[in-house]
Amino acid sequence: MKKQTPDNPADNSLSRVDGHVKVTGAATYSAEYAVPGLVHAVLVTSTIARGSIKAFDLQEAETAPGVLAIITHLNAQPVPGWPAPKQPAERAPAGTAFRVFYDPFIYFDGQPVAMIVADTRERALHAASLVRVTYQQEPHQTHFEKNIGKAAIPLNVQRSKNSPFQDYTRGNAGAWAQAEIRIEAEYTIPTQHHQPLEPHAIVAVWEAGDKLTVYDKNQGVKSAQGQLAQAFKLPREHVQVVSPYIGGAFGSGIRVWPHTVAAVMAAKQVRRPVKLVLGREQMFTSVGYRPYTVQKISLGAGKNGQLQAIVHEGVGQTSMYEEHLERTVQGTRTIYACPNVTTRYRLLPLDVNTPTWMRGPGDATGMFALESAMDELAFALQMDPLEFRLKNYAESDPERNLPWSAKALRECYALGAEKFRWENRQMQPRAVSRNGMLVGYGMASSLYGFHRHPSKARAVLRADGSVTVQSATMDIGPGTGTAMTRIAAGVLGMNAKKIRFELGHSALPDAPGQNGSSTIPSVGSAVYVACESLKGKLLALAGEMDERFKAGRQAVVRDGQVFGSDEDKDGLSFADILKHHHLNELEAAEESKSGAERDQYSMYSFGCHFVEVQVHPLTGEVRVTRVVTCADVGAIINHKTARSQSIGGVVGGIGMALMEHSEMDHRFGRYVTSDFAGYHIPVHADIPAIEVYYIDKPDVHVNPIGSKGLGEIAIVGVAGAVANAVFNATGRRIRTLPITPDKLI
Amino acid sequence: MTDDLDDTSPDAASEDRRFFLKQTMFIAGLSMAPADILHAALAPDDGPVGNAVKARISLTINGRRKRLTVDPRMTLLDLLRENQGLTGTKKGCDFGQCGACTVHIDGRRALSCLTFAVMQHGRKVTTIEGLSHGEQLHPLQEAFIRHDGFQCGYCTPGQLMSGVACIREGHADSADEVREYMSGNLCRCGAYPNIVDAILEVKKEGRKV
Amino acid sequence: MRPFQYLRPKTVGEAVTMAADHPDAQYIAGGTNLIDLMKRGITSPSTLIDINHLPLKKIEHRYDRTRIGALALNSDVAQHKLVTRRQPLLAEALLAGASGQIRNMATVGGNLLQRTRCSYFYDVAMPCNKRNPGSGCSAEGGINRTHAIFFNANEKPSCIAVHASDMCVALTALDTDVVIAGPNGERTLPFKDFHRLSTQQPELDTYLAPGELVTAIEVQDNAFTEHHHYLKVRDRASYAFALVAVAAALQMDGGKIWEARVALGGVAHKPWRYWAVELMLRGNAPSEKLFREVAEHEMRSAKAGEYNAYKINLTANAMVAALKTAAGIS
Repeated sequence: MKKQTPDNPADNSLSRVDGHVKVTGAATYSAEYAVPGLVHAVLVTSTIARGSIKAFDLQEAETAPGVLAIITHLNAQPVPGWPAPKQPAERAPAGTAFRVFYDPFIYFDGQPVAMIVADTRERALHAASLVRVTYQQEPHQTHFEKNIGKAAIPLNVQRSKNSPFQDYTRGNAGAWAQAEIRIEAEYTIPTQHHQPLEPHAIVAVWEAGDKLTVYDKNQGVKSAQGQLAQAFKLPREHVQVVSPYIGGAFGSGIRVWPHTVAAVMAAKQVRRPVKLVLGREQMFTSVGYRPYTVQKISLGAGKNGQLQAIVHEGVGQTSMYEEHLERTVQGTRTIYACPNVTTRYRLLPLDVNTPTWMRGPGDATGMFALESAMDELAFALQMDPLEFRLKNYAESDPERNLPWSAKALRECYALGAEKFRWENRQMQPRAVSRNGMLVGYGMASSLYGFHRHPSKARAVLRADGSVTVQSATMDIGPGTGTAMTRIAAGVLGMNAKKIRFELGHSALPDAPGQNGSSTIPSVGSAVYVACESLKGKLLALAGEMDERFKAGRQAVVRDGQVFGSDEDKDGLSFADILKHHHLNELEAAEESKSGAERDQYSMYSFGCHFVEVQVHPLTGEVRVTRVVTCADVGAIINHKTARSQSIGGVVGGIGMALMEHSEMDHRFGRYVTSDFAGYHIPVHADIPAIEVYYIDKPDVHVNPIGSKGLGEIAIVGVAGAVANAVFNATGRRIRTLPITPDKLI
Repeated sequence: MTDDLDDTSPDAASEDRRFFLKQTMFIAGLSMAPADILHAALAPDDGPVGNAVKARISLTINGRRKRLTVDPRMTLLDLLRENQGLTGTKKGCDFGQCGACTVHIDGRRALSCLTFAVMQHGRKVTTIEGLSHGEQLHPLQEAFIRHDGFQCGYCTPGQLMSGVACIREGHADSADEVREYMSGNLCRCGAYPNIVDAILEVKKEGRKV
Repeated sequence: MRPFQYLRPKTVGEAVTMAADHPDAQYIAGGTNLIDLMKRGITSPSTLIDINHLPLKKIEHRYDRTRIGALALNSDVAQHKLVTRRQPLLAEALLAGASGQIRNMATVGGNLLQRTRCSYFYDVAMPCNKRNPGSGCSAEGGINRTHAIFFNANEKPSCIAVHASDMCVALTALDTDVVIAGPNGERTLPFKDFHRLSTQQPELDTYLAPGELVTAIEVQDNAFTEHHHYLKVRDRASYAFALVAVAAALQMDGGKIWEARVALGGVAHKPWRYWAVELMLRGNAPSEKLFREVAEHEMRSAKAGEYNAYKINLTANAMVAALKTAAGIS
């Protein structure tokens, strides 16, 4: 197995197909559409966490130069898809998505309460600073630990017997008490924010009052189209969502958020195209976050290291008005062979905005706790943590009692351990120091469920022999277009340069949003079958021209030509085939989706991470100095971009482990970390070289391309591996992230 | 050289004349009626001409001399993005905490969100759009593509402008040095190791950057 | 942001006159802090006096002092031969601060005048005595993880924010004067008397009078060029403000410390000079034991809040680490 390098010709990797536009600044992100007549909207947000708006003083703001409109719940034109507000106004009941400028109530700090529309950004911002709001304040509850007694089984789960979030037990629920070696501990992850470098932004343009185009930052143009059509009661095709370039999202763009609706409302009200860009501080209260979560894990094993019992309980934070559910405890049912497993999941509603999925949602949280606990138990057993995991290797899915569609985690462990030189790890903490720094090794496992959604793709061969492939999928960064181009090039036997992949527009064939590591499994399969279909049509046409290509023969495609066989040197070019048949183009459109295999196999991506840290013995500063990450995600479509995605996941995991922490002052119910100076994400100096390895064997059961998702397992487990390395370096077990110097002093 | 006479900012005089007239004009010691401001010649050594609503400035962007009328509150970043259509320079935070807005001012890397456009009167600004020569990419742009030094691409122009400066400054002799001197450019996708490789490679090649 | 009149003087005299004529004016140089504050509405000058074109960039050596013009950029100062040769501690501290881009914009004068990074100060929705005197200190009883542990003895502080500069910590350890121009001519302030503690007027960070302009700093030659270290402890490896910073400078000869300077950042409303430690170190042979003893000595006067108690240990530890590195013992 060779190391993945970015430019290893043996990989036959494609450089990003959008590389040129991205390095020249020519790629156009949502806020960058120059629409004639564009005006600027700025949100004014609440400074209390609960209560209601008593009054606005808008006098100064209204008379400020350049102001076109000030929109509040008092004067907003009703959003047609929403019910009329109750009279007198009532607080939205649980289960209602937040509606912007709808009622006088404050549900969370940072909630939009007014919107200025002005001719320039400077003037809109100035006017926004002149808006005065008086509130009827009510006591708010934002403190997790103080309210944890109110955590309960989510209403959605109570209503649904088959919900995967139901309490779960296999074997004996009381087995832990009888286990020979036991540990029990509580783990906390604070609220963390996606904070993509591009702030969420939208340019909203109405045409003729009933046609809407939005240039919007989101992770799913089709879903955004559907949600906007519903809200504004428009036929779906009257809404177009254009989002070809997204400056990162990591989950923050899965939903249509209030600010998007607000911008559309503003554009309608002022009859001008409106641009709305969230300020960085607004990014903390507008587009979700990874929820604050407290977990308790009880692990028991025999002296031989065989797991006997796992109890995993998790409580996650949500808003008062919506339930956000995560897989926090679910990976624990699956990842190790253990006869007695109990998991419980609870939600704690607080006066905060609703959390959302953030890279590795639930699993990144849960695996931090479980993989820390596994390390704690391995230490209690005085057993090597890797050996302990191998001892409890799940040969089949212990939750569903199904065979894995494929699982090469054992190979991942072996490869990662070898490359990392794991054998040099010392069992006892504080045993190694280098240049005055304490050195520690840690590892963790990773898993993430396989997600494949129905997807469509269209492939069109043009007269010049070029191919355009289209699907309404997205690229928030992983390199979707590049991977799809590679799939198409492979099927059609063409040079990738002659293929153009189009995405990020709601008029393209249906595709799921980019989330849950589902893009390559879903859209990749659609592109594959669409290109296969195009190839079939092409061969049929060729067959009419020449006996060699008739159906049932050995005809193949390569270099943009059809050949009679692999050995055949006399080909017929795609362009000539079209020309012969007097065709301007040849099109194939297909849909691809899962079948019965979902019930026959359990499907997951797997991986593991090995981390070396150095800890300053006096200042407690932790630096990650080496990482080896290894994944089994089936076939790798494009090594170069896959490797980057793995590296990115590790970087995100290092941030989660060492610095990311959205901290709230509960007296105000307001974040005190509301910019990049307060909310730290890793910088260059925090990140060492990261080695990435893949098993790269197709999983033949999952889809026609044999490829599973990579985006999430890249981060799942990393925080645990770092925390375990910190323990190995210092003897200090940090169970509350992030591991900042104050915790090690 | 062009001498653009862009004036895309709204006509403040017509909509708030009272406020406009109240302002006294100190700049360059001139005192003019509002209408004169827009047509006043800009002496090369003097400062911008204008008042609190509009100021006339002259600066060079990517080798082209521009005469522009700006709201003094407009940052260089907003001038580039909103007024000049140069959206390659990115707004990540607007508070000097992410580096996405990095440009070169008189040849040195700087954050365009933390300086007012009016302060750039007389200076030379280079943005990502001015880094390549037509279709010929800058060596670091090529290296970014080769090493996959980006994912979503949003921090990329800032990383490139900073990376070029880092090499020119002589701060690209080791991976650790690059990491330290590039730490003002955040990347949330986590392309850091590839960016470092790209910068080190270009530095090693010794090509003129 | 409130509209402002933009002025661009060419001489110090002109600048000072403009400031005198516009009581609501502010000087702007690098702008790396001021524009941030203006965007957030923390400061709203009606007039901005752009001093970037004043002739105050020069770095020179006069008699026994390195004189650095107030408009010299942080990056230029950090790599200037006079500074790296005569004041390497200052260069080290400068490079520990901010980023390459910001150091290319920020000036020495501006660095002296940068305001605290207390998050309550930056959020206009929260009470803050520094931003809005009399409204209360939110950090007191709030999230005070990054806040001060040293105060004026026996006085209740009205602001527990810390000074954010790295450069100023080094300048505090060295013998520095600040040269100031004002309506009544030039004056000089010793660096230790330039910044204020927060007790009475937390809205004021320095003893600069309204309309006064910093024109230069002068750093005395010293014998610390060999044994010095600037240690900055932070939440990430770079581009973050200090949790605690230590500027340590030693003059050593014959295995003994003859002169010592220790200044701390991130622990008080101004850079904190550790006078007692300096006395205790003098005449002694360097050792970890000695450093530990002196470091812990003055920590007895430290007062922590709910979230920053760790700073008491961390400061002592950081001091030991910095002194060890400065002394060259491992």
